[in-house]
Amino acid sequence: MAILEVQCLEKIYTTRFGGNQVRALTNVSFSVEHGEYVAIMGESGSGKTTLLNILAALDKPTKGDIFLEGKPLSLIKEKELSSFRRDNLGFVFQDFNLLDTFSLKDNIFLPLVLSGKNYKDMNNRLKPIAVKLGIEQLLEKYPYEVSGGQKQRAAVARAIITNPKLLLADEPTGALDSRSTDSMLKIFSDINSEGQTIIMVTHSTKAASHAGRVLFIKDGEVFHQIYRGNSTNEEMYQKISDTLTLLATGGDKNE
Amino acid sequence: MNSLFPKLAVQGIRKNKKIYLPYILTCIGMVIMYYIISFLSYSKSVQNMKGGSDLQTFLSIGTGVIAVFTIIFLFYTHSFIMKNRKKEFGLYNILGMGKGNITHILIWETLITYLISTVSGLVLGIIFSKLAELISAKILGDTWQLGFNIDVKSVISTLILFAVAFGLILLNALRQIHLSNPINLLHSDKSGEKPPKARSILAFIGMIILGVAYYISCTIEDPMSAITLFFVAVIMVIAATYILFIIGSIVLCKILQKNKKYYYKTEHFVSVSSMMYRMKRNGASLASICILSTMILVIISSTMCLYIAKEDSLNDRFPRDIVIELDSTEDKYIESLRNAVDKVIADHDVKYDNVLEYRYLSFAGIHKEGTTITLDTKVNDFSNVKQVDIIPIDDYNAIYNKQETLNDNEALISVKKFKYNNDSINIEGFNDFHIKKHTDNYISNGKTIASIFASVQLLVSQEKFDEFCEFFKEQEAESRYYGFNINCTPEEQIKIFKEIEKEIKTLQKNDSSFPAVSSESIEDSRSNFYTLFGSLFFLGILLSIVFICAAILIMYYKQITEGFEDNGRFEIMQKVGMTKTEIRKSINSQILTVFTAPLIFAGLHICFAFPIIKKLLEAFGLFNTGLLIAVTIGVFLAFAIFYVCVYKITSRSYYHIVSNKEV
Repeated sequence: MAILEVQCLEKIYTTRFGGNQVRALTNVSFSVEHGEYVAIMGESGSGKTTLLNILAALDKPTKGDIFLEGKPLSLIKEKELSSFRRDNLGFVFQDFNLLDTFSLKDNIFLPLVLSGKNYKDMNNRLKPIAVKLGIEQLLEKYPYEVSGGQKQRAAVARAIITNPKLLLADEPTGALDSRSTDSMLKIFSDINSEGQTIIMVTHSTKAASHAGRVLFIKDGEVFHQIYRGNSTNEEMYQKISDTLTLLATGGDKNE
Repeated sequence: MNSLFPKLAVQGIRKNKKIYLPYILTCIGMVIMYYIISFLSYSKSVQNMKGGSDLQTFLSIGTGVIAVFTIIFLFYTHSFIMKNRKKEFGLYNILGMGKGNITHILIWETLITYLISTVSGLVLGIIFSKLAELISAKILGDTWQLGFNIDVKSVISTLILFAVAFGLILLNALRQIHLSNPINLLHSDKSGEKPPKARSILAFIGMIILGVAYYISCTIEDPMSAITLFFVAVIMVIAATYILFIIGSIVLCKILQKNKKYYYKTEHFVSVSSMMYRMKRNGASLASICILSTMILVIISSTMCLYIAKEDSLNDRFPRDIVIELDSTEDKYIESLRNAVDKVIADHDVKYDNVLEYRYLSFAGIHKEGTTITLDTKVNDFSNVKQVDIIPIDDYNAIYNKQETLNDNEALISVKKFKYNNDSINIEGFNDFHIKKHTDNYISNGKTIASIFASVQLLVSQEKFDEFCEFFKEQEAESRYYGFNINCTPEEQIKIFKEIEKEIKTLQKNDSSFPAVSSESIEDSRSNFYTLFGSLFFLGILLSIVFICAAILIMYYKQITEGFEDNGRFEIMQKVGMTKTEIRKSINSQILTVFTAPLIFAGLHICFAFPIIKKLLEAFGLFNTGLLIAVTIGVFLAFAIFYVCVYKITSRSYYHIVSNKEV
């Protein structure tokens, strides 16, 4: 069974005074299997952020539904949404969203503390993750003391420490330099190879070339998708570039 | 181009009205208060009131206090405005405006604020000055005159004072602009925030300072040392409050963080760590709020207490309606005095009763500790000076209807304004007295009340009394106290009193050996008394209004700063998986803690200040501890209610800012 089923998603924003309607998503359907690494690409305004927000249960679709392990999100009560998000989803954001009032360690602990875990438990979970992400020396530091790449690694640690079913990443390399980007993408691949399901929204061809599958969104619809198959990252990069060119020149749906 | 700068200045004020409006309102308030106090202290019509010139002396002290306070306070609040506006100036700078041009804008802004606040402040001040005049007339117990006047001198001094204040503010603003570059200005509100450092040693020092100040207040025994040490204690408390709020609170948070079991709990985790940042930013303003609150409480409760108890204090100060003291204990003089008084009283066809008559010998001694009182009068240490009255036991027995007998080395003792628990006493030049009894029957004596020194009444045998008289012969220390009540109207009492004074003069003229006489009447002094306490109370109210304005503004600014800060934090927390209610709960509890802290500390300060205030009021002749407790508690409760209201109102602006985003 697929871990995530997205069925006929439609999202219409109504402007404040009820005048214009903006259709952000028209008809989006796809599914994600266990352990998959999916990148979602599209230009600005294509609806990918809306899609991610709906996947994250931060926003509600106008039509359609999402099933996480067969359970529809629309049936979760408003009150339980936060704890649902905390227990099932991990988030990595473009601008890190670390709280500067906490040390990196406390930032990583935040979701666990909110779920009421005890300190020993949390520490045991943190150790292997910190080693894996190479931040065990930085745990006592505060966000303002470390680089962007290090901040993002802490954010990844925060996202995966709850063992989420789904890791959602929104432009995770958007604010990083190329070296940090490389190591961050390697981290995502490593995590994925350990069985973590990842959905990443991105602009960057390079970031997407590490994924197992790339979905292209245009005008609120899934326009195209590419599977990696046996291709290397470089071949994947080439495929994605070709598709993007096609998208930009306005080709019809092909294949 | 020339009209651009004033336009930009007006726009700058308008766009930032959230922070500018309260600032201007406070400036106006300060102008009003300063003008009114200055007006009253110069006003002819106040001067013409009964006791008006005394009131004016107090008020002129008040103008000084307010002038200094105004400058410091406006300077301080304006730096808050600058912090919020640096970004705007950075933008101007990047868009091609030179620092000279920004200077132009700032000058215009200052000028506009100055004009708005002084003009409207003076207009309102002039209107309210009549009201203040009526209130002062009421307090002095005099009637007011119709008519309305403007005191040009006060207007000018107000204009000058605020010109100086705004000038200083402008210079400081310009200094800040010129010392920074545009990028710094642009990002000044987003510069990465360092976690606060916990300086445990400083916090410890703060606690020690506070402890010492409290100790001073609690262990003070007599009013004289209370006066000398009061300001020392006040300064120590102020210093300690700032240290504890700014550093102590952070140290406390760090200690809580170290306790893993406590810290990593859902309900503590976010609160403790954000609290640290909150205190780092707001420690100083909270300390200021705390100090201002304490000042308001001390000023209002003490002056109000004096004002309420003025009748009691008057009666303490004047145990009898008319009191005459002869500087001699010889019987023949009191005889002729009594005859003179009888004659006057008979002329007026009134009765006198409740006669209080006794002989005493009075001198100043130094008593530190133990049982010895020395007579070294050249000592500068006023806090150890004790007023010693030696009274023959026979006179004591006559007054209190007792049959005490004493032999030559025995004495009864009664003290006022300090404690004496030993069972013997030695006065330099005499043998030890064994104290047969500590008695509460202190023989009322206005002098003790009026004097700032603590006093001892030592009741000894007739023989010993004569020995003392012999010993102090040179100083002419012996007196005879003669006081009585008369049943008549105040006006008649004053008339009688004047006639008695005239009779005494005649006696002295006829007999050159007749001793010096001092005399006083309660009705003759009543208005002085009322004026003194009324003026103090009035001044207390005026100063408190100023302090309250200041406290409100600081609170308001604090709410705004926190609102902007918490806005971003809110969003992140929600994304990470906190529910809105969780966030609200945590923030509410933090804000509540942060806001009750100054009130609680002010209450604590008041509790520990109570002993020293009590001693200070004893110097003013107020001994009614119960009243002081009641008034202090009452004032504290009223203030607490007021404080909560202000908090509620200002916190609306906080929620307004925070809820701009969807939370």
